[in-house]
Amino acid sequence: MKLRLQAIGHAFLGRQVFEKIDLSIDSGQVIALVGPSGCGKTTLLQIAAGLIEPSQGRLHRKYRRHAVVFQEPRLLPWMTARDNIAYGLRSVGVEKELRAKAVERRAAEVGLNARDLDKYPAELSGGMRQRVAVARGLAVDPDIVFFDEPFAAVDVGLKRVLQDLVIEAAARDHFSALFVTHDLAEAVRVAHRLVALSGNGEGFATDRSIDGTPGTRTDREVFDIVETWSRDPAFHELFDGAREHAS
Amino acid sequence: MREVAPGLVFLGWLGRTIWSAWAGAAGLCCLTAAWQAGHEFYGSFILPSPLEALEALAALIREPTFAEAAKETAKRSAAGFVLAVGFGTIAGAIAGYSFAAMRLMRPIITVVLGVPPIAWIVLALVWFGSTGGSAIMTVVVAGLPISFAGGLEGVVTRDRALDAMARSFGASAWMRFRTVTAPHLVSYLFPAWTTTAGTAWKVTVMAELLSNSGGIGGELATARALFDIPRVMALIVAVVACVLATEYLLIHPLRDWLGRWREAGLPWGVKR
Ligand SMILES: Nc1ncnc2c1ncn2[C@@H]1O[C@H](COP(=O)(O)OP(=O)(O)O)[C@@H](O)[C@H]1O
Ligand SMILES: [Mg+2]
Repeated sequence: MKLRLQAIGHAFLGRQVFEKIDLSIDSGQVIALVGPSGCGKTTLLQIAAGLIEPSQGRLHRKYRRHAVVFQEPRLLPWMTARDNIAYGLRSVGVEKELRAKAVERRAAEVGLNARDLDKYPAELSGGMRQRVAVARGLAVDPDIVFFDEPFAAVDVGLKRVLQDLVIEAAARDHFSALFVTHDLAEAVRVAHRLVALSGNGEGFATDRSIDGTPGTRTDREVFDIVETWSRDPAFHELFDGAREHAS
Repeated sequence: MREVAPGLVFLGWLGRTIWSAWAGAAGLCCLTAAWQAGHEFYGSFILPSPLEALEALAALIREPTFAEAAKETAKRSAAGFVLAVGFGTIAGAIAGYSFAAMRLMRPIITVVLGVPPIAWIVLALVWFGSTGGSAIMTVVVAGLPISFAGGLEGVVTRDRALDAMARSFGASAWMRFRTVTAPHLVSYLFPAWTTTAGTAWKVTVMAELLSNSGGIGGELATARALFDIPRVMALIVAVVACVLATEYLLIHPLRDWLGRWREAGLPWGVKR
């Protein structure tokens, strides 16, 4: 067990978003967190990552380092891709040579050219920026990574590539992850287990493990699981929300 | 375009600088022509010709006393500039971080801004007498509010999302200030610094003239008393040259250097 949320609840300015959330993330486990928009996924992730203090409940951390990959790349515009990837290492005081090595390795892993490393974020495409953000997270050798809809803004083809990249990295480096997404297919592709936060603040609508292991499921299998689950009442809110958005 | 060698980047920068200097020179020529026309209309006593002023300037530069006076004025305006920018920026940044400090300092700054500079000179004269202190104090009072406003705005508008990103990696408050807030702050401070640098020279000369405490202002007072109008014009040209030199040789190169990342995103044609 790497991280345990115990009876977590949160209210913004007196308005309760959710309460009594219990969740344990095991070592090497990738949990997908889905839920309708505005149900508090980002809030829960930020609580788990220590970025906001929960109003109620306790957090038990059993790891050294975490990393967060946000929905937007959140790169420092005044630093080159290289320095952005090294940012997390710099903040924990890793010395320069070691940083440089880690940057080269992680950049190659996420498919960035050495040439791109000396560019500023403004000179990179959206997909490349998100690759830099992923590399920055992986560079600190995290025990757990928090992904907040990291690929919601990239186009479909690239999304797959980036998902595969995360699946591969998680298998290779054995980190745990909490992967927030509103895309059920994405959740089924990348995760071992899936939890759905309900939209009415009543905790999780469902918590289930996903057959097979990430990276070994065929597209057919992913499609079948999503098909089956989309008829499941536990996910109704998720799809109703999507329909509302579309209309 | 990042693949080009650093040497080429420097050459490109130099080329652009020279090109903008060239454009600036054209504007100055128009001004000189208007000056010449004014001279031909009013005569040498009211408005000496640019050539006469240049000759007086050439004579002036050769005088050792002028070098002394210019050095004195430069020192005073530099001291005033550093104090104004230093205190203004720090106070502004503190106000940006702390709501209470902002509520407290904003009215003070508003009042300070409302007092005409000439009133400060009078006060400074009472407090410091005929020393450089009057000039320095006047520069500080005139320049501080602009840096304060720049520091305040810069910190208030810092990107909180980037700050959260830095916190998620466990960056210390100091590192977050250096890497997230400061680079953003600089873009708010540069206009303030440019204005303060120009104001520093001009206010120093004014305070020197009124407090009779030497420097270029003192020289100006003497030339006026002697009705040496070409010398007055020469001194004015000298001050303008100092202001422009500070701006273009010190502040703009610094700004360009610190703003490299900003330019990186612009397509080629847009770059100045
Ligand atoms: N900083 C904040 N202040 C006040 N309300 C907030 C803040 N952040 C989020 N909320 C509210 O909390 C709810 C959950 O938001 P969020 O966690 O971002 O949802 P999700 O990520 O699932 O779309 C929303 O109703 C949102 O308006
Ligand atoms: Mg969200």
